[in-house]
Amino acid sequence: MRGGNGVLSPAKQAELLKKDGNSYFKKDRIGAAIDAYTEAITLCPNVPVYLTNRALCHRKRKDWLKVEEDCRKAILLDNSCVKAHYLLGLALLQRQEYVKGVKELQKALDLGRGANPKSYMVEEIWQELAKAKYLEWENASTSRSWELQSLKEACETALKEKHIRDISQMEGFLDESDNSLTSHLEHLETLRRVFREAAEADIPSEVPDYLCCKITLDIFRDPVITPSGVTYERAMILDHLEKVGKFDPVTREPLDQSQLIPNLAIKEAVQAFLDEHGWAYKID
Amino acid sequence: MRGGNGVLSPAKQAELLKKDGNSYFKKDRIGAAIDAYTEAITLCPNVPVYLTNRALCHRKRKDWLKVEEDCRKAILLDNSCVKALDLGRGANPKSYMVEEIWQELAKAKYLEWENASTSRSWELQSLKEACETALKEKHIRDISQMEGFLDESDNSLTSHLEHLETLRRVFREAAEADIPSEVPDYLCCKITLDIFRDPVITPSGVTYERAMILDHLEKVGKFDPVTREPLDQSQLIPNLAIKEAVQAFLDEHGWAYKID
Repeated sequence: MRGGNGVLSPAKQAELLKKDGNSYFKKDRIGAAIDAYTEAITLCPNVPVYLTNRALCHRKRKDWLKVEEDCRKAILLDNSCVKAHYLLGLALLQRQEYVKGVKELQKALDLGRGANPKSYMVEEIWQELAKAKYLEWENASTSRSWELQSLKEACETALKEKHIRDISQMEGFLDESDNSLTSHLEHLETLRRVFREAAEADIPSEVPDYLCCKITLDIFRDPVITPSGVTYERAMILDHLEKVGKFDPVTREPLDQSQLIPNLAIKEAVQAFLDEHGWAYKID
Repeated sequence: MRGGNGVLSPAKQAELLKKDGNSYFKKDRIGAAIDAYTEAITLCPNVPVYLTNRALCHRKRKDWLKVEEDCRKAILLDNSCVKALDLGRGANPKSYMVEEIWQELAKAKYLEWENASTSRSWELQSLKEACETALKEKHIRDISQMEGFLDESDNSLTSHLEHLETLRRVFREAAEADIPSEVPDYLCCKITLDIFRDPVITPSGVTYERAMILDHLEKVGKFDPVTREPLDQSQLIPNLAIKEAVQAFLDEHGWAYKID
């Protein structure tokens, strides 16, 4: 590529610098990698991938402010850049901008799935998003549990004290105090049931069957339905069609990738369930 | 089981006839199967499964009127006979008889819910009021003991108000099963706006009520109502997962059986 007259175009020089940067990065020479990418960016400031590669370097050094800076520039150049949204999301989470960070991760996930549902990148983004969601749930849940427990004890104490006072006023009226006791015990029983149920949303239990893939046994992330009416995890069924055979795993009917339909209603159902049961974000 | 003294009870005879019917059905001898089930029904007319088994035979012969007739009888015997309902739907999803069967089933389920719910609601309301009263009385007594200690009584008030707020939230959530609210969007057809009974999904990924979309394809045009993409009846796929989701929701929120 270095022609007779010696001078390369800026674009070609920038590409070579990017390659240099990539090798430095692999050898863990982050400073040198950053320098190489920076030169490339100076030559060609409108190429998003130089910015996201530099952002990856800043991430290694945990220089989150710089990660954010480079990603935002990359996004201005190309709003559908998966890596830029992903790294920006991570950077925002680092400075406690929870809602914005999750939004960026979600965008990266959607873009990534659209491009290549089975890629390792999609899996990595999912893991980070699930981790962030799970931590959010854990925090909220701890304070909720404490609040409920405190209220339950206050109610039990208040009800018992009231009962004792009511009873002492009824002295001599046996029937009335019997009824009062029965009704008091029923109240305590119902109270325990109500608080037990209130605490249930925060107690990890089983995800309903219809929200889980029959093969992966995990809650759906990207459900697709086949002509037989069965719903599967998209990455799993694509894998199956490629490696095992072109048929529906459950019904064994012939099946081709083009026949898969996104089960949008189930996807919404999964999101609604996760919103109410954040513990289900935990990945084993 | 045919013992020494020879005579079996009608119930046992009917069960044997059902077994005969099942074997005939498996060997595709539908006429013989129908006869066996019919004898069983004559002996024991109140067993829904004999009727639904005979309905399956009629379905094999595409005798749709008889399928609906037997399903209807089965549902009258046993309101939770979902199989009968599914068979009826398989026969002809748009027929008025399926609609009638659905109405009866929904009405029975709604009454069941209403009964259970009334006593639950009363119990919860009574407890909620008792707690609120007891907490308020306790707070007043605590406050009077703290007279002079301003900080403590401020904290006590804040904590008391928080308790009342949480109490209301807890009881509101406890009453959810009993208080009609909104059915989640993803469980409703975007066109009928009712909870799904027999959801089907189109290649665009949108889910509709089967009877409604069939009607649309026949009377309005062969395209997806929401995306406007070309659509044929043969492309409709039963959304089994959503069907399960609907059933789970109805099991927890019986008020949703109410048909306006």
